[in-house]
Amino acid sequence: MSTTTLRHTDTVLLAPGQHSVSSDTAPVREPAKPWHQWFSLRRISLGIVGLLVIWVLGSATGLIDPQVLPAPWVAITTGTALIENGRLTSNLLTSVQRAGIGLGLGIVIAVVLALLSGLSRLGESLIDGPMNIKRAVPTLAFIPLAIVWLGIGEGMKVTLIVFSVMVPIYINTHAALRGLDSRYQELALSLSLTKGEFITRVALPGALPGFFTGLRLAVTSAWTSLVVVEQINATSGIGFLMNQARLYGQIDIIVVGLVVYAILGVGSDQFVRIAERRALTWRQTLSQ
Amino acid sequence: MAPDTLTVTQKNDPLAEAGHRKDPTAGLGPGNEAEDPLVRVRGLSRRFGSRTVLDSIDVDIGAGEFVALLGRSGSGKSTLLRALAGLDQDIEGQVHVPAKRAVAFQDSRLLPWQKVLPNVALGLRGDRPVERATAALDEVGLADREKSWPKELSGGEQQRVSLARALVREPELLLADEPFGALDALTKVKMHGLLRELLAKHRPSVLLVTHDIDEALLLADRILVLDEGRISTDVRIPAPHPRSIAEPELSTLRTALLQGLGVDPAI
Repeated sequence: MSTTTLRHTDTVLLAPGQHSVSSDTAPVREPAKPWHQWFSLRRISLGIVGLLVIWVLGSATGLIDPQVLPAPWVAITTGTALIENGRLTSNLLTSVQRAGIGLGLGIVIAVVLALLSGLSRLGESLIDGPMNIKRAVPTLAFIPLAIVWLGIGEGMKVTLIVFSVMVPIYINTHAALRGLDSRYQELALSLSLTKGEFITRVALPGALPGFFTGLRLAVTSAWTSLVVVEQINATSGIGFLMNQARLYGQIDIIVVGLVVYAILGVGSDQFVRIAERRALTWRQTLSQ
Repeated sequence: MAPDTLTVTQKNDPLAEAGHRKDPTAGLGPGNEAEDPLVRVRGLSRRFGSRTVLDSIDVDIGAGEFVALLGRSGSGKSTLLRALAGLDQDIEGQVHVPAKRAVAFQDSRLLPWQKVLPNVALGLRGDRPVERATAALDEVGLADREKSWPKELSGGEQQRVSLARALVREPELLLADEPFGALDALTKVKMHGLLRELLAKHRPSVLLVTHDIDEALLLADRILVLDEGRISTDVRIPAPHPRSIAEPELSTLRTALLQGLGVDPAI
């Protein structure tokens, strides 16, 4: 009797849109959000909006010297012009291609190394040491050596990006594999799983949260490395565009380049976050 | 080949032997256990450092026999089960177990990143694994939850999935390590019924590790008590199923078992 009354009250008290979860049933998964809600206004930082407002007001009132920082509308005009004459698009494509290839190769290499090192003692003693040395030395410190060995072409640029991407993915995936609950290894043993089944069904999915942590760091460092390597004897890419603009004192183009880098960085980070949410649906309990 | 599980040993005074160390092969019905038992353990010892948890244990389990293993916590019940499951490599002695065996753990141990159906089908060999897993889920009454994540299930439902995962392999030996230990009393009663139903159908031998004497009395054909690394009690329960704990025969046994475990039943 009393339970019925209680339930009734509960339901009445719930605001529209809230879910009622009674204690004796298993939790019900929330319906998936439509994609545009990931970019909803609430998520846009007040800080970013504030900076934009200062930029607009400062330029309009003349408080910001156009020689120091051109007005936002100048940057937009320049950007539009660069798109119209094709320079922005083709250089952007080159940059994205470099970062993409570097990121892709880096992910594959890092995951394979993490698996070898995380699942075998020999692998760990062979791989983990060098990777930790690599972690201690900033990738950009390898630039002189990379130029001597690989020249100044695409190979050197992509290699450096691969290098910078590998470390965070390896470190985090490896840590996740090492931290995999031993109860699951016991389960695998009791079910006589093959090595392959263990890797694909237990180890890799179990290490996925660590992998994504690494991936988000890796995406950021891929762009960072890109900016640097594109300043070295490049003949294309956003970095090249900015470098050339510097020679001719075209600050507005530099600003456009910065904005493009910012959009690429934030955009790819959002993309990884969405991929992470999709892949780790099973884990969404506390984060929602 | 299955030994006659109704063989009565010491029906009237089942625990005359309680507290005595006893050879499990002695005192059993003649002729029955002489046939090859499904599980044959001889001189099984397990030490953790200087501590001897299992001290030269001999156990036989016949085909289709349901054995409950009782003991105080820390008495080595789970150690014995892990040895039979092949999960412990550091044992001494002989352990003969069938290759077709399955383990049901106390935590359901479902992979949280796989939905219910692939959890049941995990590592399943042979023909049409998915169909068989679906059928197994249906048997435990969870056919409609195959696309759920394990986290979305209640504790009892998770244990049912775990049972389905074990039984879909058609094991000759089911090793269950306190599978109902974490469940509430009502769910436990339902699970006991379900387990008996499933066992009647699949007929594996069962070793059920439990600290719940009533559970052992209700379900098992035979109860072993592990004490200080040895089997201190080995008693058969001939009562037919379904049983009630109120049956005088069982309540006498219950009292004796409690005493054997060092608990004063008067309290």
